[in-house]
Amino acid sequence: MSDAQQPDDTTAHTEHEHHDTEGPGYATPQAAIEESEPEEVAYVMGLYVGTDVDAPDFLGVVDVDPDSDTYTEIVDRVEMPNRGDELHHFGWNACSSSCHMDGLERRHLVIPGQRSSRIHVVDTKDRRNPELESVIEPEEVFEHDLSAPHTTHCIPDGQILISMLGDADGDLPGGFLALDENFEVDGRWEPPGEIEMNYDYWYQPRHNVMVSSEWAAPKTYYPGFDFEDVEAGNYGQRLHVWDWENKTVEQTIDLGEEGLIPLEVRFLHSPEATHGYVGAALSSNVFHFHEASEARSASEQSSGDKPRDGDEWRAESVIDVEAREHDGWDMPVPGLVTDLLVSMDDRYLFFSNWLHGDVRMYDISDPANPRLADRIWAGGHFGDPAPVQDRELAGGPQMLQLSLDGERLYWTTSLFSSWDNQFYPEEAERGSVMLKADVDPRNGSMSLDEEFLVDFGDLPGGPARAHEIRWPDGDCTSDVWQ
Amino acid sequence: MTSGSSAHDVALEWPDGHEERVSVAEDEPILSAAEHAGVALPFGCRTGACATCTGKLLDGRIEHTRPPRALKQRHRDAGYVLLCIAEPRSDCRIAVGADIQAELVSNPWR
Repeated sequence: MSDAQQPDDTTAHTEHEHHDTEGPGYATPQAAIEESEPEEVAYVMGLYVGTDVDAPDFLGVVDVDPDSDTYTEIVDRVEMPNRGDELHHFGWNACSSSCHMDGLERRHLVIPGQRSSRIHVVDTKDRRNPELESVIEPEEVFEHDLSAPHTTHCIPDGQILISMLGDADGDLPGGFLALDENFEVDGRWEPPGEIEMNYDYWYQPRHNVMVSSEWAAPKTYYPGFDFEDVEAGNYGQRLHVWDWENKTVEQTIDLGEEGLIPLEVRFLHSPEATHGYVGAALSSNVFHFHEASEARSASEQSSGDKPRDGDEWRAESVIDVEAREHDGWDMPVPGLVTDLLVSMDDRYLFFSNWLHGDVRMYDISDPANPRLADRIWAGGHFGDPAPVQDRELAGGPQMLQLSLDGERLYWTTSLFSSWDNQFYPEEAERGSVMLKADVDPRNGSMSLDEEFLVDFGDLPGGPARAHEIRWPDGDCTSDVWQ
Repeated sequence: MTSGSSAHDVALEWPDGHEERVSVAEDEPILSAAEHAGVALPFGCRTGACATCTGKLLDGRIEHTRPPRALKQRHRDAGYVLLCIAEPRSDCRIAVGADIQAELVSNPWR
């Protein structure tokens, strides 16, 4: 079942001899842009959890090849064996960080259930007809006093690392679970107790660093968003900077009130880069984090304001989405920055304001000073929700995915079943949509493609929610380079 | 139904008027008994942490076999129960379905 043959030459790992290895992925981010073909299928999570539809969640195969007869259709669905999973984020068994692993293939999707703590492995050898291969049952996960699996990255040498948001009871602390190359639980990755809250993470092996973020205890966010929990300090506002090799937290950055609920973490793709971004959902800010020793501003240098010992990484809010008054609502509504991504050429940052209803594109040529390039309104509470092809949009833009060449941006509209029910109750009745924008990287602009609509509201089992999107050949939110 | 223990009659009532009756042993979670009877209820974690299976007890008594961690005190005071960890102690009437979970929280900006 393993995708890996034993590498003959173990020194390849340290030498980064990309040009003569045959592992998965691309040698560099630029190679991904140049060598990849346009995406033909997208893998998209489809959900029934938390509704009265008596059906399990599924992996949807969406045809995104404009030359195909079934363009914009869900051409296949891999149903999970159980109901109640809340499939959420998922990842590949291998990415460009595994390029030194001869014989390894980017072939298996590791698909955790956020609510069930069940972990599924799907074989995509036949891209348009993937098959469920194996399942790790929740009890095997609870044995390690972990629950609520979230971000799944392959890590070098064939292992899979999954951020876990809670302990076996759905309380804190969370941690990280490692799977081996045969997709069996290897055990806890880090020494327990390094962190309390967990959510997303990204690693940059050349700098021996990982950055993780914080949502809350599963028992806090599972039932829905309650302002009482914010006031009680039950939601996160910290970033954790890890020593990647030692698996220990070296620095914790408190983002303060501007950094409430920091979710998706994205480093720039260049393995040399020590810059990244994290979106703080509730305070609706985007933070730029960076290694301070290399990126101190001129004013800091002139004032002699040196970072304290050990405080090698810093994070500053560089984009602030202002809350807006909504007719008939009691309080100004935050944008709710729920997903963000960086284009493969590290030139643009895209993010979604799920409550407001816009997708934004920023030029990040100067990483500390993003410049708004363009934005699209589609759905949401402020987007004058214009129907697409007569289809009413029941939610706001949420999970994003960008083509490797940076010219096609796709998104879905569901955040999390209980939160959807709270903020977009009509999405349960109508289901999600998947939309697309055409991006012009040269001019820094984008436009909604009115011809593209994937309707998750029109399925045999009933309307489904749609969540994260992945490409078979790697994507802007999963590939890491060594 | 598990043998050797007394069973109770549990009426499950959806907001749209649909109703199912299930016999539930005292040592069996109501969610499991419903599943065995072929009655689909929403659920998620099955450990009392996620509230996906929230019901509202309209009549009767239940006992949670573990702390219902997903429910705040105000929810428990209002009669909300978690069917994945709730065993009946009498005949019960329970409001069920995804809409009941959605009652736990509202849009705070609205």
